[in-house]
Amino acid sequence: MRRVAVTGAGVVSPLGTTVEKFHDSLAAGRSGIRRLAPELTAHTGVQVGATIDWNPAELFKEGEAANLDRVTQFALAAAGQAIAASGLLAAAGVARERIGVSWGTGMGGAQTQEASYQQVYGKGEWRVRPLTVVMGMANAAGSNVAVRHGLRGPFGNYSTACSSSAMALGEAMRTIAAGRADAMIAGGSEALLTPGVLVAWQALRTLAPADASNPAASCKPFDKRRAGLVLGEGAAAFVLEDEARARARGARIYALLTGYGNSCDAVHMSRPDRDGQIRAMKEALAEAQLSPQDIGYINAHGTATAVGDVVEAEAINAVFGAAARELPVSSTKSLHGHLLGGSGALEFAALLLALEHGILPPTGFLEQPDPACGLRHVAQAAQRVAPPRAVMSNSFAFGGSNVVLVAARA
Amino acid sequence: MDTLGRIRQLAAKEFSINPDGLDPAAPLDTLGIDSLSFIEFMFKVEEEFGVSVSDEDLKAIKTLADLERHVAAALAAAGKA
Repeated sequence: MRRVAVTGAGVVSPLGTTVEKFHDSLAAGRSGIRRLAPELTAHTGVQVGATIDWNPAELFKEGEAANLDRVTQFALAAAGQAIAASGLLAAAGVARERIGVSWGTGMGGAQTQEASYQQVYGKGEWRVRPLTVVMGMANAAGSNVAVRHGLRGPFGNYSTACSSSAMALGEAMRTIAAGRADAMIAGGSEALLTPGVLVAWQALRTLAPADASNPAASCKPFDKRRAGLVLGEGAAAFVLEDEARARARGARIYALLTGYGNSCDAVHMSRPDRDGQIRAMKEALAEAQLSPQDIGYINAHGTATAVGDVVEAEAINAVFGAAARELPVSSTKSLHGHLLGGSGALEFAALLLALEHGILPPTGFLEQPDPACGLRHVAQAAQRVAPPRAVMSNSFAFGGSNVVLVAARA
Repeated sequence: MDTLGRIRQLAAKEFSINPDGLDPAAPLDTLGIDSLSFIEFMFKVEEEFGVSVSDEDLKAIKTLADLERHVAAALAAAGKA
């Protein structure tokens, strides 16, 4: 089996629209959560979100931007950064049929779909844009990445709610390891902060209200005061590449993606299950050929729901045993919000901060740890350590889909 | 602005091309406009002028000049021009 290197990264997030800005914000413990605009809060009851001040004109011509859903614009931006950073396509004679795309998104072109429903049911005009289908379909973001860069290798699009883009990375890793591609652009994006989607989430009663004194602190994973998740938007993308080829072309190697665990709870649509999470973490460790004590940091799923954080803490303790007492854990969703289908990829970008720079990003605003979430928290402020040998990221989704990724220092 | 001028402006924005370089007599495919892009563009033309172009008429439109004739005819039929 071939080993898989990370040779490029790109980020479009509520904490900045480059990898460097994202890392700087994480290191500073800055939150991108804020009060939402009145048109999003008016009828939905949702108060806060992690939004991006997005100006498509910086990247797209006017007519082009109008024909790409926001989720696709984010995808193209993040993938473009990753590809540019990697230098993958710069060499002459690159075999693009050996390079594929592996993408994740929960809702695809949510804004396009909502605009179409608004037209039909809101305005009563049964006449919608001809591009509604191709802009709104779930694979629009990933397919546009392939088209933009002429990547003709294997294509996959994963829609498993909150684990979508973590799965996209894991499956891309396996595709390269099995020799079916030399490189994959892997990542995910989400852009579903629309009134229709927000009101559906609000109906689930899992969203945090605004923190009265500091809206940026509304999401408090593992804290006794936690009140639910905060939705966000954005994208992250990576160039994953056969390590031997990457080294041969002199590419900068950010990290190695060495472990991927994938399990299904198969017990409930929304209630998390400790056993499924344990199996995914163990599978990822086994594939990475690591023992629990080799992991130096976990970026937790940690959505700040009452049940979810406790179950994850129990699962981590079950897998890591005594090693869990020394194992730093944080949920960066406290800072960048929950990007749903984009979260696994964005949190993988957070792992690079730990692996490359020895900076463990914090769980923001964690002042009163819940004893039921017994973990060694990186609370409130980032922690500087000797760069760990390997790190882990958890993504546990509605539908019971659990994905765990393990990355190792290059 | 006349009908053709408005169509050229719309086309320039939709396809990110310079309106001055648009030859009304050039076949649309030579301008790099594929069938899907054209259908989306027609939707915007219909919105702009408040007219409807039938599927049959659509097939006959090969150039921007063709398009102008159909739009002008539709406007006249609707008593808008």
